[in-house]
Amino acid sequence: MEAITAVAQDPESDMDCSDNEGFDDYDYYNATEDNDIEQVDPSKTDPEHFEYECLTEEQVERLLNETVEILSNNLQITPSLAKVLLHSHSWAVTSIISKYRSNPDNLLINSKVKPVTTPSTSSTCSRYMTCPVCVSPQVNERFFSLSCLHSFCKDCWTTHFEVQIGQGISTAISCMARECEVLAPEDFVLKHLSRTTMREKFQQYSFQDYVKSHPELRFCPGPNCQVVVRSRELKAKRSVCCQCKTIFCFKCGMDYHAPTDCLTIKKWLTKCADDSETANYISAHTKDCPNCHICIEKNGGCNHMQCYNCKYDFCWMCLGDWKAHGSEYYECSRYKENPNIAHESVHAQAREALKKYLHYYERWENHSKSLKLEAHTLEKLKARINQKVMSGLGTWIDWQYLFTAAALLAKCRYTLQYTYPYAYYMETGPRKELFEYQQAQLEAEIENLSWKIERAETTDRGDLENQMDIAEKRRTTLLKDFLDV
Amino acid sequence: MAATKRLQKELVDIRNSGLKSFRDIHVDETNILTWQGLIVPDNPPYNKGAFKIEINFPAEYPFKPPKINFKTKIYHPNIDEKGQVCLPIISAENWKPATRTDQVIQALVALVNEPEPEHPLRADLAEEYLKDKKKFTKNAEEFTKKHSEKRPAE
Repeated sequence: MEAITAVAQDPESDMDCSDNEGFDDYDYYNATEDNDIEQVDPSKTDPEHFEYECLTEEQVERLLNETVEILSNNLQITPSLAKVLLHSHSWAVTSIISKYRSNPDNLLINSKVKPVTTPSTSSTCSRYMTCPVCVSPQVNERFFSLSCLHSFCKDCWTTHFEVQIGQGISTAISCMARECEVLAPEDFVLKHLSRTTMREKFQQYSFQDYVKSHPELRFCPGPNCQVVVRSRELKAKRSVCCQCKTIFCFKCGMDYHAPTDCLTIKKWLTKCADDSETANYISAHTKDCPNCHICIEKNGGCNHMQCYNCKYDFCWMCLGDWKAHGSEYYECSRYKENPNIAHESVHAQAREALKKYLHYYERWENHSKSLKLEAHTLEKLKARINQKVMSGLGTWIDWQYLFTAAALLAKCRYTLQYTYPYAYYMETGPRKELFEYQQAQLEAEIENLSWKIERAETTDRGDLENQMDIAEKRRTTLLKDFLDV
Repeated sequence: MAATKRLQKELVDIRNSGLKSFRDIHVDETNILTWQGLIVPDNPPYNKGAFKIEINFPAEYPFKPPKINFKTKIYHPNIDEKGQVCLPIISAENWKPATRTDQVIQALVALVNEPEPEHPLRADLAEEYLKDKKKFTKNAEEFTKKHSEKRPAE
């Protein structure tokens, strides 16, 4: 049975990518944006709006070479030297040119093109020299040096470069003399490399270094993916690789993490990796029904649980009666700090700190698990729709809206997951209260949506579409107020 | 092999230079890639003894750096219990093929004489060195007397 292709529409279809393979890979973050009816400037209304393009290796090379050409023409230097300057100055052509105009020596020394002290030319009258590295005497013509004039024989340069490249070093290879920092430019290295494999490796490593040093470029972190994403906005925004569909943060290259910023999410993930054993131990995968105490395993995304045994409705997070959640205020996402903490002992404070961490960790982990169950939820959805269609309740097309709804749910849940690290590191105060209020609102609407999707009985989509709209509005409101990039 | 030729030359040079702080150099004739010798520091608390070291050169020498190991126990913030030493001049990032072994040894002797507690291998000793220099000197001196080699005659 073919399914889900309907939701996998690429919103960035105006991008420079013609390759639509892997189209039926289910991409939960990406879908449903075709719901937008009004044609308004997305950069004003959508806090996650991000302009970028996906480039192939050849396109990136062309881009880099254009910049190299501009600089080498402007300063009348070799392209190879221009590359050294660009690499050490984050490809900022105009700034390099103005630095060169005001003090060329300073620029060249800082970029390790020229030595700090002007070298003295050793006046050798004899036709032979001894290479200080291999200590064999050879004719003068076999000696080469960089701008520092430290001379070494051809074979030693070759071995030096091969050993460095073997260690993954390319743009950072320097002169062989002690305490000399002058860098070997590309043409000098290539002149001494004859083996094709070595030349290729060198060029490949250099290319990686150039991309990494270019603020507008970012390698797609997807496994074995060669795509480079380019954006002039150097922000922590959501990029989707047009080739492998990996979603990542443009600034740090990790999983997209709005509204949390790059540094905070890194801190949080490190903390979770350190503490995961404790946290796993404490928050087990199963819970007991608060009413009949039968053991329940969570098998879907919704936090609104109904015990299969006693039909009691409760919240998976706080195990409280669900009735208290449905109305105007939903509070179980908020962590209530112990107001007397300052007077407690160190031991109690440590316990409180762990409690606080676990509160946020459990919610983070819970939404992450819900997202992982998404594929399973979709399978169930498909089966149910099939059953409906077989029994004459609408056509397959009539039920498609459920997939759109499921995709939106996943997108909302993803953002909700990343609100927990944000809240964990927030200082207590009115801003945190506002944040947790909005978080709770989002959480409540997500659970409503989740519940409605799992139990949709008719093809009447009005109610569900209304719920979708509310959930997405809550999500964008939160991001508008707190996504700070 | 490039390493052999260069090491033969370096060995001759170092033996002829008459370094006071690095003596009793032993090199097995069948394997020039391993050198042994005695570090003879000038500064207290290490001037009460001498310390055996081993230098291991890789086959790719001088394009890759040698490794140094202390064979004698030493109470020093920059040398750990296994005899490993952290010497920037022979770290992979800083290594230069034109650096000679006598320069490496001079850097090592300087480090033994003047510990660098700012980047220690043994944090406990570095802390003691910085917080209670007297106690550190006393401990290091006793340790040296107990464990180090006899200093060669002048």
